[in-house]
Amino acid sequence: MSVKRFVIIGNGPAANHAAKALREKSSESRITIFSKDPFRSYSAHLLPDFIAGLIKEEDLYNRSYAHYNEMDMNLRLGQRVVSVDFSKRNVILDHKEVVQFDGLIVATGGKPRIPEQFQLFQDIMLTLKTPLDARMWVEKLRNVESVLIIGGDLTSLSLTKALLKLDKRVKFILNEDSFWPVPLNEEIYRAVTDRLEQRGVEIVHCQRIRRITQLEENLLEVETDREILETGVLGAFFGLVPDVGFLARTGLDIDRGILVDEFLKTRFANVYAAGDCAQVYHPALRDYWVSIGHENATALGRIAALNLAGSHFEVRVEPENILEVGGVKVNTSWWTEF
Amino acid sequence: MMANGFAPEGPINSNTEPEGPNVLYSTDPADFRYMTVNVPCQSACPALTNIPAYIRALYESKFGLSYEINRIVNLFPGTLGRICSRPCELKCRHGESELGNPVNICHIKRAAADFRPPGHTYLSPRFAPSGKSVCIVGSGPAGLAAAHDLAILGFDVTIYEACHEPGGMLRYGIPDFRLPRDILSEEIQNVLRLGISLKLGVNVGVDISLETLMADFGAVLVASGCYESMKLDVPGENLAGVYPGLEYVMDVAAGYKESIGKKVLVTGAGFTAFDCSRLALRLGAEDVSICIRGFEEDLRVTHDEILEAKREGIKIRSLSLSKQILGSGKVEGIEFQRTRPIERTSGGRRRVQPIEGSEFVVEADTVIVAIGQAPRPLKGGPGEKNDRGVLLADRKTFQSSTPGLYVTGDYLTGPTTVIEAIASGRRAAERIAQDLTGRKFREWAVRIQDFRITDRDRSWDVLPRIEMPTVLPVKDRFLNEEVVEVESGYSSEQAHEESKRCYLCYLHYEIDVAKCIYCRYCIDNAPRDCIKLVKQVLLDETGAVKELVETTNWLDVNAVVIDNSRCIRCGECVRVCPVDCISVSKVELLERPLVQESKA
Amino acid sequence: MPEVDFTVEVCGMAGDGTIAAGGLINEAMSHGGFSVLGFDSYPAEIRGFGRCVTNSRIGSNEIVALGEKTHALISLNDEQSRSRTPSLAEHSLVFFDSNPPAYVPEDSSLLSVLPPGAQVFGIPFGALAVGASGASRGRNLTALGGFAAVTGVDPNLFRKVIRDKFKSKGDRLVDINVKSFDAGYEYALEKFSDRLKKIFSKIETGHDPQKVMLSGNQAIGMAAIDAGLKLYFGYPITPATPIMEYLAKYLPEHGGQVVQMEDEISSIGAVLGSFYAGARSMTATSGPGFALMTELITHGVMAEIPAVILDAQRGGPATGLPTKTEQSDLHAAVFGGPGDSARIVIAPTNVEECYHFVIRSFQLAEKYQTPVIVLTDFFLHNRVENRPLIRATEGQAASWNVFPDEAFKDHYQRYADTPSGISPRALPGMQGFNFIATGLEHTEKGSPDYSPENHTKMSEKRHRKLRYSLKDLEKPAEFFASDHLDVGVIGWGSTFGSVLEAVEKSRKNGFKVGALKVTSIFPYHSETIGAFMAKSKRVLVPELNYEGQLANLIAHLDSKPVERLNFVTGTPIPPSAIQNRIEELLEVEAQ
Repeated sequence: MSVKRFVIIGNGPAANHAAKALREKSSESRITIFSKDPFRSYSAHLLPDFIAGLIKEEDLYNRSYAHYNEMDMNLRLGQRVVSVDFSKRNVILDHKEVVQFDGLIVATGGKPRIPEQFQLFQDIMLTLKTPLDARMWVEKLRNVESVLIIGGDLTSLSLTKALLKLDKRVKFILNEDSFWPVPLNEEIYRAVTDRLEQRGVEIVHCQRIRRITQLEENLLEVETDREILETGVLGAFFGLVPDVGFLARTGLDIDRGILVDEFLKTRFANVYAAGDCAQVYHPALRDYWVSIGHENATALGRIAALNLAGSHFEVRVEPENILEVGGVKVNTSWWTEF
Repeated sequence: MMANGFAPEGPINSNTEPEGPNVLYSTDPADFRYMTVNVPCQSACPALTNIPAYIRALYESKFGLSYEINRIVNLFPGTLGRICSRPCELKCRHGESELGNPVNICHIKRAAADFRPPGHTYLSPRFAPSGKSVCIVGSGPAGLAAAHDLAILGFDVTIYEACHEPGGMLRYGIPDFRLPRDILSEEIQNVLRLGISLKLGVNVGVDISLETLMADFGAVLVASGCYESMKLDVPGENLAGVYPGLEYVMDVAAGYKESIGKKVLVTGAGFTAFDCSRLALRLGAEDVSICIRGFEEDLRVTHDEILEAKREGIKIRSLSLSKQILGSGKVEGIEFQRTRPIERTSGGRRRVQPIEGSEFVVEADTVIVAIGQAPRPLKGGPGEKNDRGVLLADRKTFQSSTPGLYVTGDYLTGPTTVIEAIASGRRAAERIAQDLTGRKFREWAVRIQDFRITDRDRSWDVLPRIEMPTVLPVKDRFLNEEVVEVESGYSSEQAHEESKRCYLCYLHYEIDVAKCIYCRYCIDNAPRDCIKLVKQVLLDETGAVKELVETTNWLDVNAVVIDNSRCIRCGECVRVCPVDCISVSKVELLERPLVQESKA
Repeated sequence: MPEVDFTVEVCGMAGDGTIAAGGLINEAMSHGGFSVLGFDSYPAEIRGFGRCVTNSRIGSNEIVALGEKTHALISLNDEQSRSRTPSLAEHSLVFFDSNPPAYVPEDSSLLSVLPPGAQVFGIPFGALAVGASGASRGRNLTALGGFAAVTGVDPNLFRKVIRDKFKSKGDRLVDINVKSFDAGYEYALEKFSDRLKKIFSKIETGHDPQKVMLSGNQAIGMAAIDAGLKLYFGYPITPATPIMEYLAKYLPEHGGQVVQMEDEISSIGAVLGSFYAGARSMTATSGPGFALMTELITHGVMAEIPAVILDAQRGGPATGLPTKTEQSDLHAAVFGGPGDSARIVIAPTNVEECYHFVIRSFQLAEKYQTPVIVLTDFFLHNRVENRPLIRATEGQAASWNVFPDEAFKDHYQRYADTPSGISPRALPGMQGFNFIATGLEHTEKGSPDYSPENHTKMSEKRHRKLRYSLKDLEKPAEFFASDHLDVGVIGWGSTFGSVLEAVEKSRKNGFKVGALKVTSIFPYHSETIGAFMAKSKRVLVPELNYEGQLANLIAHLDSKPVERLNFVTGTPIPPSAIQNRIEELLEVEAQ
């Protein structure tokens, strides 16, 4: 019997837990992990600490290269999958390599969401998802004193804490477009603004951002419907969207994420999706949901791998952790953590 | 000898005639087959527009010629250069995955229209009057195209139009921020100038019967399009604040609608749904969503359209099937059901399954149902009809069951695109002309001409695609009372730059096996796997190349062959060949007038 | 100043511009003030589809041996480059074409066989070159641009050497090649802005004007010209052919001629002929050609005619491994041929010595009137080094001919038995000096004489002359000299660089180790070598041959057995292999 070839796209918690489970279940198989990023698996929640100077960059990374050798996995960093051909059962890489698979797990996770109306200003806004983004913050913060954050999600709030530690002046715009993953209501708005103000953050009240202009390298002008602000740097946090654009028109069902059944299986045999990029209909919720957060990702990664290896585990969610954003339900525990 | 690298004599039809030195016309099926495979853009165009030729003309700054190469087959270059559905760009070789993005074929067309000098020469050959007359019902793209062709073929043409202005869907179905009315009017006028008589405000079947027209004219062509909005068939569709999509767009176009609610839900996945949504924003709506049963991939509009709509703030609500429209007296929202996508139909339409128990409600004060249109039934009159009362005809011959009565365009096929309607109208005209006179006026042929290598620079192959500039930031689109055309058009420099990107696939490269010394320098310098070491060439039933059987065993190599379906016409092989054994010819699919031969 | 010791490889197919790219790296880094040692390998076939690899070791300190681990791999052909991955260092940088002409399956892709820590830099070499210059041929330069940007090399160094390389071909070619380089440089600078390494940027060493970038081939060619070579005779053979190519190009400018002969026998014959007439000449060959020459070499020994023969060793026996390096002709050079035909054999160990030894070979041949064999190898010929090279003056290259004293006019004996064994040599046409040259055993006057007494006497005379020549032969040089050594390593030829590096590293590890460089292979300085062996507890002789040919030659000089380290890999011995062996011997010693 020929050796099974498993391909995992992504190198986050879901991908790594899927790889580990696959190796447990099939010691002979070939496991290849593709990551478009050139760096190793990292702990996203530590990024603000790194920006605040509390930890070193090396501390962000949670798996050594040797780990992959020990597990006999081919880790291929900085190599982007650009398409999948499900009829020929191969993935196609950016550098025009074609890799065959017998089983595939898509676990690409999420990427920062920039609403279309803000995409015009994308180049002058910073986000925070990867160590690379964090390095850019560190670089930028050497030369600027004031920071404007459009946000409301967990990342933006923990970044704000880090910025305050660095004695930066922080202004914060909390509005509907940016708040995520729960819809912003008046009660939450008050609760969050109070907390931020107590910590010394200036809250900017406005409905809409009209225009962002770069005046100088370290000076931006932001025009809202109420006023014109100046800031050294602008951080934009609109939550995450599943990073599945490359799978468009491959035949997979892609809405926000990849539509999978309660066993995380896609339309195609032996093709699974797990983690922040999978979208599941859940009967108990009576709607679709996309998981977020480290805990969910690891659990889903494992389930996808076990099912690919022949098991039949169903995904379970706790309804009280389910929130809705942009028409899609998300599972998160961030609110209770905050 | 184009399609077959080995044959000493190629499949050139024997009844070809010379046109100057080194020019041949062929109607051999193998050559048509070659064109389909190797000039993908032209084959993808329903009207078979000679795309490489017009892009090359624009590159040479011959804007008038470029416009005219378009106009003779698609009639409205300025209009299509804005709103065409661009099937050509999906097939453009430059868009093959490793080669970048397709050439912006459509916007180059617009540039040809934008920058053409006044008074350029017409290319359409005109035929002497036949003394026969044709009546056309409807002045939309199909009707106007048929009228144009019948006029140049020598017929007296009269158009009856129910609306107060000509253009049909072009005028009433497409909002002015996508298609400015002066551009449209000028191009319609260009058609009417051929001596076509236009009767506006006449509703055939109401104001005048088909029978009367049949009696007055040699033939009648029904091209009255699809104006009947389809219904969701759910409860609540008749509530106040619920509009059929097409009527909504037409009312706005005619100036009847000036305001709308704040929270608008539009159902539908086509251009009409997008037009309705973007119009709603321009009329003051604050929260507009397009609701679809499937997901974004199922939308039947261009990528640019989705991007611009989202930029303007329109949301897309996917996997939502309308179950009922809610409200007491006035619309208050829609109850949706979540769907699960299942296999597509053979026609590529998404099918979905509603999920039991997933009902949810979205509030709205306006609902627009834009899920499609159908032809209007005709009451009574000649010709066989379907059970809805829609006149039927043969899709190839355009003939109805009543001799002399023809049907074309969307009325015949159901809703399609402008370019398909134009092609349909022109083919119907050719058929009517043949039926009325018993002769063939024109034919499609492959024109083959020896060609020297072009001045295309290899570096042009890696130029990035220039996207259409649009008015940004978005708020500037809503500035004042005046209509702002969202796409601002290329500058002539941008158009020129974009035109450089076209590979000019109408060039055909071929290695002369008798001269080739198998040195493989061409392969060493090839931009991709376009030149092959071939063991065998398999031909299809027309005699065109079906497959090149490659080999890696040097002893099995029988020829070094250029695979024109992979070739990007960069010319590197011609430049490096030490024995000058690679020839280039220009092959174009075009329509040529047939000389009538007197029959003894 | 941080120490730089960085090895970069360029790998491609014949026709990819691999060797040119490697050459430009060497030149650029040399101009940047770094020490460079480069070595290329390429296919044996003439119109090849084979693999080309250049290896450049770049250091802030003197580099004496090739690098073992590759820190950067520039792949111009991924399928070929797969073979390079075993030698990649940890976290090595890999540059590859991210937009090749065709899709590649996993089993021929380079990236699928890289270790997980490799840092990949995908650059569309071909497409960028096309964009910059209108042709994809500049893709090797685009690749260099990417390499320069990521490793932090000043782009002006590359621009300068590109201009120098192409200036003879016109401004247009200079322009498009610089543009191709810039396209890769700018692309990488932007695309990898977050991953740029500043490996070379912090070094502020100026360019040493005395340092020239030379291959062994060039050094030998220059030396021949500087020695006033009049005639070169040869028959093409890898790896000696570049000598003939070089001389064919430059020798005529200096009043000499290159003659391609019908084979190696006629080549050596012609060399003997021209020395017979008093003109300096030489031939260069490799093992198979050298074997053909041996009979006539012994003719030179017997008739006491000078000759200079360069044997560029390659893998043998017979046709063997034409493009691989080996040190297995030592026995043939020293002993090859009929009779007791001792001749002088010298072996340079680096490019600089190639130059000086070739000049010296003419002088030795003239003075000792015997063929002199310069024993080089493929690695020495094809490697490039940027060492200071001080060209020999005319005086330094002057003739060492020993002409007869006027006093002997009319009673001149061509083979006079002198205390040194050197018989002053007349040239044909010198009035009053009866000239003779014969391959038969002869008397002092030159008449045939097969008597036991005469053959004994004349054999003794010829060998005395050879022994006497030792005073003009370079003595073995001791490195890290000390009275007692735990391990003494003796090295010769191109292997000596690896010996030196290994010994230096072992010493840094605290071991008492020394090295002896032997360049005079025959006759050799038995006392010096013997003394070195005597003071070393263990003696190690690493050689690139199976039999241990130098070890065989000198083993008798000391009573303890000589440890041998023999490789026949066709590639230079890695310093670490020698170092490991040294440290193994030390461990055994400690037990």
